[in-house]
Amino acid sequence: MSHGFESDSIAKVSEEASSGLLVGVVRLIERCNEGVMGLSTIAILAASCILTLSVVSRYFLKVSTDWQDEASVFLLVGATFMCCAYVQSNRGHIGIDALASILPASVNRVRKGVVDIASLAFCTFFTWKSWTLFHEALVGGHTTSSSFAPPLWIPYGLMAVGMTNLTLQLLMQVLAYFGKREVVS
Amino acid sequence: AAPAQELKISHQFPGGTIAVGDFRDRLCRKFAVEVEKRTNGALKGTVYPGSSLMKTNAQFSAVSKGALEMSLFPVSYAGGEVPELNIALMPGVVTSYEQGLAWKNSEAGKLLSDVLYEKGIVIVSWVWQAGGVASRVKPIVEPEDAKGLKVRGGSREMDMVLKATGASVLSLPSNEIYQAVQTGALDAAMTSSTSLISFRLEEVAKHLTTGRGKAYWFMFEPLIMSRLVFEKLPKDQQATIMAIGAEMEKFGLEAAKADDQAVAKVYQKAGAKVYDLTDATVKKWQAIARDTAWKDYAKKNARCAQLIQLAEKVVPETPAEARPKVKAEKKGKKR
Amino acid sequence: MSVAAIGILYGLGTLVVMFSGMPIAFALGAIATVFMYFFMPGAALDMVTQNVYEEMASITLLSIPLFILKGACIGKSRAGADLYAAIHAWLHKIPGGLGIANVFACALFAAMAGSSPATCSAIGSAGIPEMRQRGYSPGFAAGIIAAGGTLGILLPPSITMILFAVAAEQSLGRLFLAGLGPWLLLVVLFSGYAAWRYKREYKTALDVYHGGGVKSAYLDEMLLTFSDKTRMLPRVLPFVILLTGVMVALYGGYATPSETAGLGAILALVLIAVVYKVWRPRDLKPIFTSTLKESTMLMLIIGMSLLYSYVMSSLHISQSTAEWIVALHLSKWVLLSTILFMVMVLGFFLPPVSIILMTAPIILPPLKAAGFDLIWFGVVMTIIMEMGLIHPPVGLNIFVIKNIAPDIPLKDVIWGVMPFVGLMMIAVLLLCLMPGIATWFPDMVMGVSSK
Ligand code: NA
Ligand code: NA
Repeated sequence: MSHGFESDSIAKVSEEASSGLLVGVVRLIERCNEGVMGLSTIAILAASCILTLSVVSRYFLKVSTDWQDEASVFLLVGATFMCCAYVQSNRGHIGIDALASILPASVNRVRKGVVDIASLAFCTFFTWKSWTLFHEALVGGHTTSSSFAPPLWIPYGLMAVGMTNLTLQLLMQVLAYFGKREVVS
Repeated sequence: AAPAQELKISHQFPGGTIAVGDFRDRLCRKFAVEVEKRTNGALKGTVYPGSSLMKTNAQFSAVSKGALEMSLFPVSYAGGEVPELNIALMPGVVTSYEQGLAWKNSEAGKLLSDVLYEKGIVIVSWVWQAGGVASRVKPIVEPEDAKGLKVRGGSREMDMVLKATGASVLSLPSNEIYQAVQTGALDAAMTSSTSLISFRLEEVAKHLTTGRGKAYWFMFEPLIMSRLVFEKLPKDQQATIMAIGAEMEKFGLEAAKADDQAVAKVYQKAGAKVYDLTDATVKKWQAIARDTAWKDYAKKNARCAQLIQLAEKVVPETPAEARPKVKAEKKGKKR
Repeated sequence: MSVAAIGILYGLGTLVVMFSGMPIAFALGAIATVFMYFFMPGAALDMVTQNVYEEMASITLLSIPLFILKGACIGKSRAGADLYAAIHAWLHKIPGGLGIANVFACALFAAMAGSSPATCSAIGSAGIPEMRQRGYSPGFAAGIIAAGGTLGILLPPSITMILFAVAAEQSLGRLFLAGLGPWLLLVVLFSGYAAWRYKREYKTALDVYHGGGVKSAYLDEMLLTFSDKTRMLPRVLPFVILLTGVMVALYGGYATPSETAGLGAILALVLIAVVYKVWRPRDLKPIFTSTLKESTMLMLIIGMSLLYSYVMSSLHISQSTAEWIVALHLSKWVLLSTILFMVMVLGFFLPPVSIILMTAPIILPPLKAAGFDLIWFGVVMTIIMEMGLIHPPVGLNIFVIKNIAPDIPLKDVIWGVMPFVGLMMIAVLLLCLMPGIATWFPDMVMGVSSK
């Protein structure tokens, strides 16, 4: 299952982490991420197929195509949020790293820590608000207002789960950062 | 003096000025000017047109939670959240402006206000607007005309009616309508007269069925206010807001009617053929709606069933002009 | 605090978090949330997630991952390498031929995608490695793709232009036609620059080699007979089939613009399965992994930048600036320059769609009153906003490049892109001097507008 890219990233995060327990948790999360990537692949493929079949069925069978857009939106929103943690595990959320090359190494290490903590704080907040949104939609039985009218807790739930994973991933990275600093000092 | 309290008024329609542009934007701007004038600057309205503040659907929750003060909002968009609100774009429920006007003081209107009030929303100004159909190959006047065409109904209920006529219904975002009609991916689109103008479909459509006179497509797009915000205001300001809201209804009515005429002119000028609906035709559409969308709606919950029943009892009353003002003043005094 | 003070604080705060190295998506979200907390009603914070969701949950925006998938199919399979080998074989005599081919590939892809980062990603994932392999400097290669990618919003089905036409109450058909001339102008300018820069880099490489230095890939000889070249031609076929298939579906009235995105992805997958036997999960995995990584990164930035725009709009910052400029009652051309400058500065932070939504209703009436043709202005404004896509701090195309080629330092990407920003400015200047570049074509097709 695994290929070069992922084993690299495991090595990288394990490097950041120092304690054995942390490495175990990190590996568990990475395993989960791998599963999530598989599901997301299916989601994006399914969205493409749905949109293609929408064209084909409307042309040949003259049927209504009023649910395909929304189904694709749900699949693609889901894939986007669910993959956030994986992308973060590879440090794939791009930032402007211009300062990194200018600052002295010690200052740069502090900057990295601060940035990770700030990201963690924001994502924690966002995760919390995603769950309240999910809860509202679930309890209120909210759906979209189209003829298809699928329940909104599905995409909200995917957003909440995805953001939770992302927050956990960031937490691991922050913990790894502090673990490593103790070793250094 | 205390600093002015800001009332943000958000809507999804194209922005303009107080004098020209989409009348729904102008209604908000007029309201903003009046409210500032009559409260001596204690309240200050700021209009955010074209979803420049937040997306259409987010507006409803925002008003309901008090994160947004006001919005001119087609409430049927929140039909997924509050099923009762689907009545606001139910084909055949309202068939003339006079009937729309009678809603405010009808039993149906009271029930609709209550539904919104429970959600934390106060109706400030009642605006109903007719719509029509722009199509590229052949006109859609009678229900039979829609058979075999690819149509965007724009709402769950309209889609149901269209499916019953044998049309194939398409859902696509409003910003893709133009290109879809141009290429032929879409044969016809239904929307309000004003949006038929602003989407510029006359460039690509050959036929227009207007909503002037009679129509089965009527949308309720009131100016709404957050109850949380409203109830925190002093009584006199509340009364002022409701009074201005009631005055705006007249402007809304006249402007909506004017747009029904204007859209016909715009399409005619672009070389499209224009058709109007007769009573008999509207009845035909209404009959289909009664069998499909109305039934579906009534099944949603008891209040929906009650609302659709009451809706049939809303009959146009005349004279239309004299009534709303008196009511508004009374309401103000009582408090 | 006054709107101006808050606005300046918001801008400065953004610059600080951006340059701290915080991931762009989190930085935009965090700064927006902080300002929401301090300057907006408490309930606004409850709306954060719904706002992000509502902004993202449009099929128009979510077609971006599908366009990226289509690009990755070509770029991450042998299809891309073959395509570029064929192009190189035919065009290597032309200075900068490969770079020019990439500009054209972007220009053509622009007619399918409604967004610029999608265009940039689709062509760049194959184009950048290919150009670098043939000796192009990293910054040069990145600049070509980033700039070529901006063409995505100058042709239909551009979301940006659709919104402008609605806001300006102008003919969308006319606006799309008006985009054609400037699109061609930009293609010519970009290609011309590519040829010139190629010659310079080639000469430098030659000097280094003669001075005893390393031999750049630029100097690799290519000895191909005509029959060799002819034999390579069929390799272009999959790409041509893909391009025509999608164009026919979109412009022939079979598919809506967003359906086209899904259709294109499936067509690309089928083609690489049939032609290159790439169909096993093992072979497909890298394609999907890179697609998901890139689209997740990009969509999260777009979602958060819309949250950022929401706060900016709610605090009335862009609107007040626009109102202030309008209230100055400037003379015709000063007014235009000031407004364009404002659009450019807003482009530092905001995506094109947000700029139009916030400022168009305020700036368009005075421009119209000053006698400017709004169709012409729409094209000029679009080009100015395109510049914002390729310059920091928030330049979506730059981030796409950064993701495709993570080893190119941001500094190189930015320096590689800057000349193209200059070329776009020249294009705007030419458009001001000769408005006919934009208006001639629509006038010819649709008749001179009555104004
Ligand atoms: Na395009
Ligand atoms: Na920018």
